[in-house]
Amino acid sequence: MTRFKKLLNNNWPVACFMWLYALLSVYPLVWMIFYSLKNNDEIFVSNPFGFPTHLRFENYVDAWSKYNVPVYFSNSLIVAIATVIGAITLSVMFSFAAARLQWRFRGIAHTYMMIGMFIPIQVIMIPLAILVRDFHIANTYGALIIPYIAFNLSFTSIVFYGFFRSIPVDLEESACIDGASIYRTFFSIMLPIIKPALATMVIFIFLNSWNEFTMAVILITKESLKTLPLGLLFFQGQFTTNWGAMGAAMTIASLPTVLIYMLFSEQVENALTVGSAVKG
Amino acid sequence: MRKYLGNKTAIAIFTLPALLLYTIMVFYPIMQTFFRSMFEWDGLSAGTFIWFDNYKELLNDSVFHTAIYNGLIFAAIITVTQIGIGSILAFAVSDVSFKGRKILRISFFIPVVLSITVVCQLWLSIYNSEYGLMNKLFDMLGIQYHQDWLSSGKSAIVAIAFVNAWQYMGYHFALLLAGAKSVPEQYMEAARIDGATKLQAIVKITIPMMAETYKFCMVFAVTGGLNAFANMYIMTSGGPGTSTYTLTYLMYRSAFRVGEFGYGSAAAAVLVIECLLATLIINRLVARERISY
Amino acid sequence: MRKIKKAAAALASLSLIVVSACGSNNNTVNETSNTTAATNAVVKEEATAAPQENVKLRIYAQYSDDDTKLPYDYAVAELKKEMPNVELELEVQAQDDGQKLKTYAATGNLPDIYQAGVDIINTFKKSGNILELDKYTDLYGFKDKMFSSTMNTLTSDDGHVYAFPYAGNEFMLLYYNKELFEKNNIKVPTTYDELMIAVKGFNAAGVTPLALFAKEKWPTVALYDMFVTRQEPAGIVKLDKGQVSPSDPAYKQAAEKIVELVKAGLLPKGATNLNYDQAASLFYEGKAAMFLNGQWEIATSTEKLGDKAGWMYFPGVDAASYETSKYSFIGGGGPGGYAVNPNTKDPELTAKVAAFLSLKYAEYKYTQRGNPIVATKVEIPVVTEYPAMMKQLSDDIEKITSTTAFAWGLSDAKFKAAIEDATQSLMTGGYSVEQFIKDVTKAVPQAK
Repeated sequence: MTRFKKLLNNNWPVACFMWLYALLSVYPLVWMIFYSLKNNDEIFVSNPFGFPTHLRFENYVDAWSKYNVPVYFSNSLIVAIATVIGAITLSVMFSFAAARLQWRFRGIAHTYMMIGMFIPIQVIMIPLAILVRDFHIANTYGALIIPYIAFNLSFTSIVFYGFFRSIPVDLEESACIDGASIYRTFFSIMLPIIKPALATMVIFIFLNSWNEFTMAVILITKESLKTLPLGLLFFQGQFTTNWGAMGAAMTIASLPTVLIYMLFSEQVENALTVGSAVKG
Repeated sequence: MRKYLGNKTAIAIFTLPALLLYTIMVFYPIMQTFFRSMFEWDGLSAGTFIWFDNYKELLNDSVFHTAIYNGLIFAAIITVTQIGIGSILAFAVSDVSFKGRKILRISFFIPVVLSITVVCQLWLSIYNSEYGLMNKLFDMLGIQYHQDWLSSGKSAIVAIAFVNAWQYMGYHFALLLAGAKSVPEQYMEAARIDGATKLQAIVKITIPMMAETYKFCMVFAVTGGLNAFANMYIMTSGGPGTSTYTLTYLMYRSAFRVGEFGYGSAAAAVLVIECLLATLIINRLVARERISY
Repeated sequence: MRKIKKAAAALASLSLIVVSACGSNNNTVNETSNTTAATNAVVKEEATAAPQENVKLRIYAQYSDDDTKLPYDYAVAELKKEMPNVELELEVQAQDDGQKLKTYAATGNLPDIYQAGVDIINTFKKSGNILELDKYTDLYGFKDKMFSSTMNTLTSDDGHVYAFPYAGNEFMLLYYNKELFEKNNIKVPTTYDELMIAVKGFNAAGVTPLALFAKEKWPTVALYDMFVTRQEPAGIVKLDKGQVSPSDPAYKQAAEKIVELVKAGLLPKGATNLNYDQAASLFYEGKAAMFLNGQWEIATSTEKLGDKAGWMYFPGVDAASYETSKYSFIGGGGPGGYAVNPNTKDPELTAKVAAFLSLKYAEYKYTQRGNPIVATKVEIPVVTEYPAMMKQLSDDIEKITSTTAFAWGLSDAKFKAAIEDATQSLMTGGYSVEQFIKDVTKAVPQAK
């Protein structure tokens, strides 16, 4: 054991690379915060990279006053949480059946489910908006939540499918012999095993929904239902954009996602590994 | 066992809700796109059915060729870098003995969390030929290699692909990390006891056991690359000229700027088929057998 | 009953204002108010549940910077005085190439009033999503208030009216920094040769000759148009209509000239990635000698550079051409403005609101934004004094012999996209004139 630990710890080029890369990854966050305190001239010409020469907190005031941050914020939260729950539930069930259960069309069903990931959202916006209208969910939370769940299914199912496929078959066999129903096997054996994947997908779906703009801008018109990314509209003119205030709005919007990531990536870390599940 | 896993009611309960929602909200609009790709249509009026004329026109459109080519370059670059570097990062962080892994884990994911607009703005500044960091970096290294990164057609697509590769590295890092975490530790331990180095153990044991993870990571990277849009929309608007067009960008331009929705739908249909083919190829190439422990 | 009385009183006062505003149209206006009164009563009867007789209209309009917000706010405030019963519900227009508006049209959820440009008018009239306003052009004497020179912004190619315009025919101007020219002893160019001398001179002095925000494609079209119009005053408009070919001498030589100048260093490095803020700041920081933008830039350039800023006539092919084509301006307007959804509850009332908003929008721009380039005559005095550059332009307006169009005013969408891509490519210097001609030729429509 120790030999291997040493090998990696003493492997300074790897460690160096890792820390450098980490620096490169954190810089944009810092840059965004600087950016949110600058004006257009500083952002584009005089000082694009450094600390703002003059802290323009008015950008935050501007961003905050332009749109109703608390309302947008809570809408984003409601939509994101509902999307996470809906998409995870549906896709984890579907992928379990596609990956582990035995039926004739499972391969086709799996591929069929993937296609949703390949289509550019803009081209199907019109039929989608018509569906939303015809289901009478226009201008409700459902107008976002239902399409969001549907469009996250492809991505999420592929991931869960992959994870389910990596689990050894003998697990179900022993469960079957123990007399557990298929539903129990799913809930008490399968779900705990793919916990790292579940936690990862919670983060991803949350992010997808939190940052989604293309559908939201078209499907939501009511002020009281608007989500955070829609606030960016207020800063973009036909010819000019108030980048500083936009940066401020984006800074406000990204902080919760960083928190979510911290919270759930801890879950990935603490998750039971397949190994211990098989053993235990 | 067969009966146990072939429980029809269970299969229906597990799959129908997802299939139903997906079919209505996602697949039906996609079918409409395929249908509309055979129309000369502005998106609103009735349109005329023209069979495969849009596809024929696509084949003769030089922008279509550029778009296909750019999509492939984009996909290749992000697949190699995201999965390559993503793996290194994931394996290092998954090693319990690595110091500071918690901070690293959070750091690597930060670009993903940020809005793509912010990231593109940052890279526009970095690539800027007057004051950009990229040219300064070459200066520091003493290399006379000043480039107008985004203004020459050939370097622009590569430059943009790297922005995407860099931003979404965190996605692949997180997926690969979750995959690595799912590989039973005792296999690694067994390999180490047999005298394999850490690297050998990863290459021989962990990576093959993560075949499924790699499979879907590749699917995401390749199809994400073929689908690329937001980066060029923000950074170059497809320019200079048409040099950074992708299929999605071509679709967007045709449908919304030119008002040829039918033509745009045809480009989108080609994209779906292209992605589907890529996925099938990946599934063939990466080991198909189920893993048995 | 009381409610009806109140409404009647309001309407009476309303028609009084209208009458006093435009005496010549008494009859029509009175008729109009009568029908409005009738429809208002209907609306009221229908809405017995709601206590107020307010009419709520949805409007989709630009509202993001001072140039769009202030005139809008002003117009709405004026509307409140004029028609207190009308309430506008604003939706901020997204910069999304009409995606949202088209989706609204497809789902039958179009706002009552929306801002439409040439492309929206052309698409929407085919699918019946835009109200033909021909019979409403007398509302508030709208048509009479139009300048004869701006009638092209009211009437579409097919001879019908689809939107109430507020913007007049705007122009592209070549701004320059007088101080930089003097300091470097460079003559303000009047011919291509002098322009080349200036480009070389400024490059030698470490100054960028021309700042152009070529990341957006329309300024690159304008630059191309600038060279074309020195020989062919109709410029890109003739291409748009399929009357000429890009390989014709005027069009080919313009492309050649641009390539030549770009190679000599006309534009800043990475020009095709410069946005407005970056290009403008080059000019305002004295790092660029010239700047190409619309006349709307006059206010900012006066504010930033004061007397140092001016605009020049475009350099001609030679001295003779400079004189003859001096007043061939580029830019221009097209049909556009506030349009009305044909399915709005009360088309007449909505059209009235749209016309009123357009008039007031123009009024504010004219009196308080220092911008006389509007579609309709304004009779109240100017609040904000015009800058010198604007006075110079106003003096010239009468002399203008021809105008062209901005890229967004081109009527053939396919040609527009192609010329935008091709002219932007010209700015890189790595794109041959042959390729340019080939790419544009494909998109030039068949002559109509």
